[in-house]
Amino acid sequence: MDNQAIVSAKNIKKIYGRKGEKQYEALKGVSFDVHAGEFVGIMGASGSGKTTLLNILTTLDQPSEGTVEIDGQNITGLKGNDVADFRAKKIGFIFQDFNLLENLTNSENIALPMSLQNVPMAKVQPQIKRLAEQLSITGILDKYPNEISGGQKQRVAAARALISQPAILFGDEPTGALDSSSTTDLLEMLTTVNQEQNVPILMVTHDPLSASYCQRILFIQDGQIGQELKRGNQSRQEFYQQIIDDLGAFQGQEAKYKC
Amino acid sequence: MLGKLAFTGIKSRLRDYLVLFTGLIISSAVFYMFETLATNSSFLSSSTNGMDSASFIFQFGSVLLTIISLVYIFYANSFLLSMRQHDYGIFMMLGAKPAKIGRLILTETLVIGFLSSMVGIIFGGILTASLGNYLMEKIVQMDLPNFQALSVKAVVLTLALYLILFVVAGLINRRKLIKTPVLELLKGDSQPNRPKLKPVNQTIQIVLGLGLLAFGYYVMKHFVDFQLASIPIALVTIVFGSYFLFNAVFVWLVVLLKKTRWAQQGINNFTLSQLSFRIRNYTKILATVSILFALALGAITVGMGFGNEADLFTQGSSGYTMALKNPSQAVKKQTNDLKLARKSSYSFKATKKAVYYEKDEFDRQPLQDVSDKWMKAISKGKKPVASYDSRDGKTLQKNPGSLYYLQGDFEQEIKVVSAQKYAEIQAPQQELFVFRVKDIKQSKEKLDQIVKTIYPKTFQQQRANIPGGYSSYLSGLEAFGGFEFMGFFLGIAFLAMLASCLMFKILSGANSDKHRYEMLNKLGVRKQVLRRSISREIIILYALPGILGTIHVLFGLQLFKTLLIAPYQGIWLPFLIFVVLYLIYYWITVKLYQKIVLPAVEIDK
Ligand SMILES: Nc1ncnc2c1ncn2[C@@H]1O[C@H](COP(=O)(O)OP(=O)(O)O)[C@@H](O)[C@H]1O
Ligand SMILES: [Mg+2]
Repeated sequence: MDNQAIVSAKNIKKIYGRKGEKQYEALKGVSFDVHAGEFVGIMGASGSGKTTLLNILTTLDQPSEGTVEIDGQNITGLKGNDVADFRAKKIGFIFQDFNLLENLTNSENIALPMSLQNVPMAKVQPQIKRLAEQLSITGILDKYPNEISGGQKQRVAAARALISQPAILFGDEPTGALDSSSTTDLLEMLTTVNQEQNVPILMVTHDPLSASYCQRILFIQDGQIGQELKRGNQSRQEFYQQIIDDLGAFQGQEAKYKC
Repeated sequence: MLGKLAFTGIKSRLRDYLVLFTGLIISSAVFYMFETLATNSSFLSSSTNGMDSASFIFQFGSVLLTIISLVYIFYANSFLLSMRQHDYGIFMMLGAKPAKIGRLILTETLVIGFLSSMVGIIFGGILTASLGNYLMEKIVQMDLPNFQALSVKAVVLTLALYLILFVVAGLINRRKLIKTPVLELLKGDSQPNRPKLKPVNQTIQIVLGLGLLAFGYYVMKHFVDFQLASIPIALVTIVFGSYFLFNAVFVWLVVLLKKTRWAQQGINNFTLSQLSFRIRNYTKILATVSILFALALGAITVGMGFGNEADLFTQGSSGYTMALKNPSQAVKKQTNDLKLARKSSYSFKATKKAVYYEKDEFDRQPLQDVSDKWMKAISKGKKPVASYDSRDGKTLQKNPGSLYYLQGDFEQEIKVVSAQKYAEIQAPQQELFVFRVKDIKQSKEKLDQIVKTIYPKTFQQQRANIPGGYSSYLSGLEAFGGFEFMGFFLGIAFLAMLASCLMFKILSGANSDKHRYEMLNKLGVRKQVLRRSISREIIILYALPGILGTIHVLFGLQLFKTLLIAPYQGIWLPFLIFVVLYLIYYWITVKLYQKIVLPAVEIDK
């Protein structure tokens, strides 16, 4: 594993609200790196600024201050076609609420990022097949999103995020709407993708079970990165226990996290 | 795939698209129908005379209809955009280039525009073919054997206008989509417009708004002094006045209501918050709608005013319905079937020099003419009723004016002479046969029959030349009937479009309101309570512009004081029609809104 930084965030601040109106500082100077091939989790309570951070990393929002480099490219202040190209080629994104188009079949949904780049469906077929096998969704490719379960939807969304072979995969609470068995399925598959294809993953979550699949966890509280936790050689179960313990220590009041 | 992406929305949101399509189809059908009638009438105006007023009305109507179609498409379009923004947000998130997004939304808007205007034209063609002859007859009181339901000119005009409007709409959509941040597209407009009380600012707006409205109304009341400038002046002042007033009062009202105890009960506070959430977006459309409302209601009111005028005009134009010279026995017999108010017969002799009447005959059977009492009644604001004065021989000897009119020949001198002198005149004795029916509208067919008996072949040309109320009635019908019809047509077309604008505006918000209602339902608020909240919210949005629009109309009618004898007479009827139509729209909006926002599965307490 080389040590090249795929994501490099420096002193990111985000202030909501216009000048003169009531302002709120959601991020107060966040800096961190994600290296090639890493599976990193960002944990934090509700309202701690996780989504805000992820939106900035994925160009969906602009930071008030600070810079973000992804795959060697400074993405703050990108405009027009450059943002579009960046989103299309460099990143994949999985949301909590899937964001699939109900009117396209699952395979069309997966192909959508390529279709938007004018790549014909036929050319993407082999890739869809490969991803579908990896994510166990081969049987539902011709169905529509409303005909499949939440866990399957999220796997379709993951396939869509991976189809363009992005430099990094982002997830904003991708397991937030899933039951625990679907959560396990999805995360195991993501781990496989991460290890076999060497795709780095940055995932935001408030769920210790999901976080325990990561190699490294950054804790965010009140808009600042607090502690960092590394899995090292621990098994997943051991790491899970450590997260739970640390959450208590980090927070001082475990009750805030209902796992 | 590009085509498929552009239309991914249609299948799952068929109902919403149907609303959009129906509105657009009706709008273009109305426009086509109007243009077809206009083309047919201009063909007519070149072949016969006296059609100028009709073609003027059509041109005026076309301009108004174009303006309102513009406003309409603008709102229909923002409804379309609201339905599509989430999908486009996903496209952008996945890295679609701005140019691509632009092409997609432009294609989508244009295809929808093209399809709906084509269907609209076909629909309009069918309507015109089935109703056209009847409508034209209503306008010009004539059968048009060669009425054309398919007018190439109207097709081209309608298509051209709608395509241009949709290209503009597509460009606007493209701009909006590209400018809006992706997050906003994905989440819908959850950025509330927080209504703030800025007392100084708002007081200024209220004063300014009232001032502008007052000035606009003043101009309309004294439009004789301002002449042609009065219409643009009034339009501008009233548009801005309405806007300022809504902007200030609406915000104030909602903020104040939220502080009352009433707001704390049930989900009233939620209803108010819903209103205040989009307050700024609504103030603009409410002001627009109040103006459109006034135009629509004004069109119907004035149109019907002109219709009433036809009767007044007839009653006041002559003492008799017909004055016939030397009618045959057959004709006289036909008059016996009429419900007559009066019938007389006078003898006269015509020489090259003059026409002579015998004074004694008028003493025995005084001649009648219109009295000016009803004119006085109107100037005092009373309901005008036609009344007649009798003129005896002596009066007529001094002033034979009434006889000139009945004689129908203003070139020849008329003299009322003594019996002795009359007997000395060397000329054949002739007869002037006059009668007045009780109700000209009811007797029209029988009167037509009489004219046909007298002029079997030249009935169409001659009937307007017979002295008396009958011919005034015919020309009144042509002019005023045209106005009445136009008023109705435009009024209803306007209303249909303005109410749809309001509907689209409200429904555009519905898509992003959905989750709020879902949440309330999950919190245990019953569906019925949610329904009530929705109907309350929407009725406020309908009522406010309705009230202001009504006031606009009441003042606007001042403009017609010189054109119409009694512009406010029978005003309740158009208002009633209007309220009924408006309520129907309200009801549809509430139903559609409820269908969109209320969750399918009810969670009851
Ligand atoms: N558009 C916004 N305007 C104002 N405040 C916001 C906005 N989005 C988020 N916030 C605030 O920023 C903070 C962080 O929000 P978010 O990043 O969504 O938290 P998380 O995803 O960790 O739950 C919260 O306190 C939230 O209220
Ligand atoms: Mg979040």
